[in-house]
Amino acid sequence: MAEIEDQAWDKWIRERDDPKIASTRPEALDDITVLDLSSNSFAGCYCSSMLSEFGAEVLRVESPEGDFIRTCTPYGMLYKGEGLNYLSEGRNKFHITLDLEKPQAREILKGLAAQADVLIETYKPGTMEGWGIGYEALEKINPRLIFASITAHGQFGPVSHPWMPDYDNIIQARSANQYDSGEMLPEGMSYAERPWAVPTKAGPWIGSVHAGTFMAAGILAALHWRAMTGEGQALDVSSIESYASMEDWAAIWYQGAGVVSERFGSLNTGGWLYCFAPTKDGAVFLGGLRLEMWQAFADMVGKWDEWGAASWKDMAPFSEKEQQLKWADLVFAETRKYTNEELIAMSVEYTKKGRLAPITPVVAPVCCPEETMHDENWLDRGIFTPIKDPVYGELVIAQAQYKMTETPIRIKWVCRPVGYDNEHIYLKYMGFGPRKLQELKAARII
Amino acid sequence: MAEDTWKNYKEKKHSKPSPLKGIRVLEVCTLVLGPSGPGILSRMGAEVIKCEMPPLGDTLRSMVPFGYFFREQSTSFFRPNPNKHYLGLDLHKPEGQEIFRELAARVDIIEENQRPGVMERWNVGYRQIKEINPSIIYISKTGFGQWGQYAEENRPSNDGAAQGMSGYAWMSSFPGQPPLKSRLYVCDSYGALMGEVAVLAALHYRDRTGKGQFIELSQSENIMRTMSWVWPYQHITGKGAMPAGNRDVSICPADTFRCADDTFLALAAPAPEEFKGLCIAMGMPELADDPRFEDHLIRLQEENAVEILRIIAGWVRTKTPEEVEVLAGKHGFVASRINSIKDVVENQHFRERGFVTEVDDPLVGQFLDYEFPVMMSKTPPRVHWTIRPVGFDNEYIMTHRLGKSEDEIRRLYESGALGKWADVRGRRPPSDWDGKAGLIMARD
Repeated sequence: MAEIEDQAWDKWIRERDDPKIASTRPEALDDITVLDLSSNSFAGCYCSSMLSEFGAEVLRVESPEGDFIRTCTPYGMLYKGEGLNYLSEGRNKFHITLDLEKPQAREILKGLAAQADVLIETYKPGTMEGWGIGYEALEKINPRLIFASITAHGQFGPVSHPWMPDYDNIIQARSANQYDSGEMLPEGMSYAERPWAVPTKAGPWIGSVHAGTFMAAGILAALHWRAMTGEGQALDVSSIESYASMEDWAAIWYQGAGVVSERFGSLNTGGWLYCFAPTKDGAVFLGGLRLEMWQAFADMVGKWDEWGAASWKDMAPFSEKEQQLKWADLVFAETRKYTNEELIAMSVEYTKKGRLAPITPVVAPVCCPEETMHDENWLDRGIFTPIKDPVYGELVIAQAQYKMTETPIRIKWVCRPVGYDNEHIYLKYMGFGPRKLQELKAARII
Repeated sequence: MAEDTWKNYKEKKHSKPSPLKGIRVLEVCTLVLGPSGPGILSRMGAEVIKCEMPPLGDTLRSMVPFGYFFREQSTSFFRPNPNKHYLGLDLHKPEGQEIFRELAARVDIIEENQRPGVMERWNVGYRQIKEINPSIIYISKTGFGQWGQYAEENRPSNDGAAQGMSGYAWMSSFPGQPPLKSRLYVCDSYGALMGEVAVLAALHYRDRTGKGQFIELSQSENIMRTMSWVWPYQHITGKGAMPAGNRDVSICPADTFRCADDTFLALAAPAPEEFKGLCIAMGMPELADDPRFEDHLIRLQEENAVEILRIIAGWVRTKTPEEVEVLAGKHGFVASRINSIKDVVENQHFRERGFVTEVDDPLVGQFLDYEFPVMMSKTPPRVHWTIRPVGFDNEYIMTHRLGKSEDEIRRLYESGALGKWADVRGRRPPSDWDGKAGLIMARD
């Protein structure tokens, strides 16, 4: 058996995967060129970010007036002329312009596609074909090309062609994941009295993010297949299917029992103990999915005897709706006696000294993102390290979501204005010098 | 035309190769964050061995909606665990550890979601495995990563904890109301997906260089990555980001509205032509030229956004969702009723694409699953078979993969290193099981 080095694991691994040393390490995808043609699609931008973080050379192709997605920014707020969502997903990308409505631009695109490994596009199905730059045309120019399309409904199927623009709130609505998220409307009350007790979508653009991330995984699998066989291929993501696929049990429940999953507030239809609980100063998450963890919770709040925890045999008596509601009332009456900090301290203490130690329930604070961004733990782990960008100055965008010993991700720059990299990229890929570029600009092709 | 590329995609799916053919994966994973990652690889053709502690195995085998088990199996267990081989292996036992190491020497990828340091105590940590398999790609997925204050405190975590600590839940609530937990295990499912992006990028690097590596992923950190504008907004303004219920504060209009029949409808119309179409549909074409609404950036400003959303809410309140959907199609904006699970499972479009797919499983029978949502023209991902009881494939793995003799296998059972399911719902086979169906190494 191999000897472990003397050094403790956490210290050993931190020396090798701390984001602070990322720039000293190689990049996983620095042999890959990606053309990102996405148009008014956060999913497309997010997808190419997943690849640019790993060092892929992403050429972000926009129409000369810039992509509409740049204007999708909270409260219309711009920072140095840029929308905040786009600022977060411009990372490491080269930004060029090309008006694909013009035939000459499509010839240029063919030249770029001949040199690319991956092409990402989000146009209405049939648009790229109509321009003569669909998969089947480009595949003839570059058989190794991976041609990735992200749209609301996909490239084929009965409703793929009636066009539906691909916005996050629509993805959430159509995936069935908004329907059963939200507070329950108490019996006898109306929506007018409880306007928040309605199907509730997630705040972040989680639908778009899923579509983009699934496509990134698909592209990487296709790259592996290409490494084995030399063949490229076409990939098709429907953003609605992407987000729908994350649901764990409702589809099986529906087909087995005919039950449609409904809203259950911050409790969990899928099992007890798993909920947000109110406290003196906010709320905590409580998790005790295994019997011993639930017993440990009862013990931790001093209810071991009163609740008869010693006699509990399994979780079955706590899983159904009425039982969960009954126990939730009892549990919340206890959690309201303490602050978040007190409850967390109690669970840490219980790990050491409790009757069932080291078993302890999960107790975690429900934070506002301002607290999250100032939490020393995440700061230490490099999630919010400010980046000095030559165009936008010092900025915080989320990063380092995975730590890796050999090919860590990194941010080299945050974003670029429209067409910022035209000179360099068109020279590098197409051999267009200043004079040619000027001509193309004058003809509004670039 | 693309029609040729995608023609009969569903019908031909099983006659094409899988993208990860030949890739071998070993998992020591529980609940959702862990197993969903290898579940992505297994849908793309990787051979995944799922190690579970006998006889109870994965905790997810107990988690079912309001006590409902599907054909005596855990309702939640299906989605993360198709196409896997099931090994009941006790890693507390030296013999179990040795079997794991023999398997680990022959795989490409290891995935685990134990607390930090646990795998190392079992002599199967990254430092130990890379000695016997230097090109291994090894991913550990936990609440707080492998180092830092919370990892050092050995804090336990769940998806709900990550929803809380990341600020994700807080941003997904109505202003002034208590923070709302998503009904999805979103930090788990999405974290697993995010983890596979890293694993597959590492595989690409290994294809080029032969080098493996260690990857760590935190349940909370992965979801922070999805919260785009929140962090630069807070950094630039010095103010905390605020939740806005169903309203999208970055796209206007984009919100959920109540219809005449008290059902709900999501609507979006931010782009110039879309907004104009909406105004025409509402019978108020002049709004498209109103200086408060004309330009998207101006329309997004708090006062203007609140006003236009108020106008739209009043209009939708007089309509059924069907009426608005038809108008949206006609005038070029987007509107959709809030689909329930029934709407998705029965959706003809999803079925014809093969996203909602019928699985015909020898052990569990016929049922509908979701396919991996990336259609790949030459290498379609797909579900072949579904979940199995704890230790169901022990004999297959021991004989086929490791070449163990009958005597060796018997001794492994005697030592307790190998084990099978407990006689408990969610662990054992369906009660009508004939003792053979689904077994790869069935004996007469």
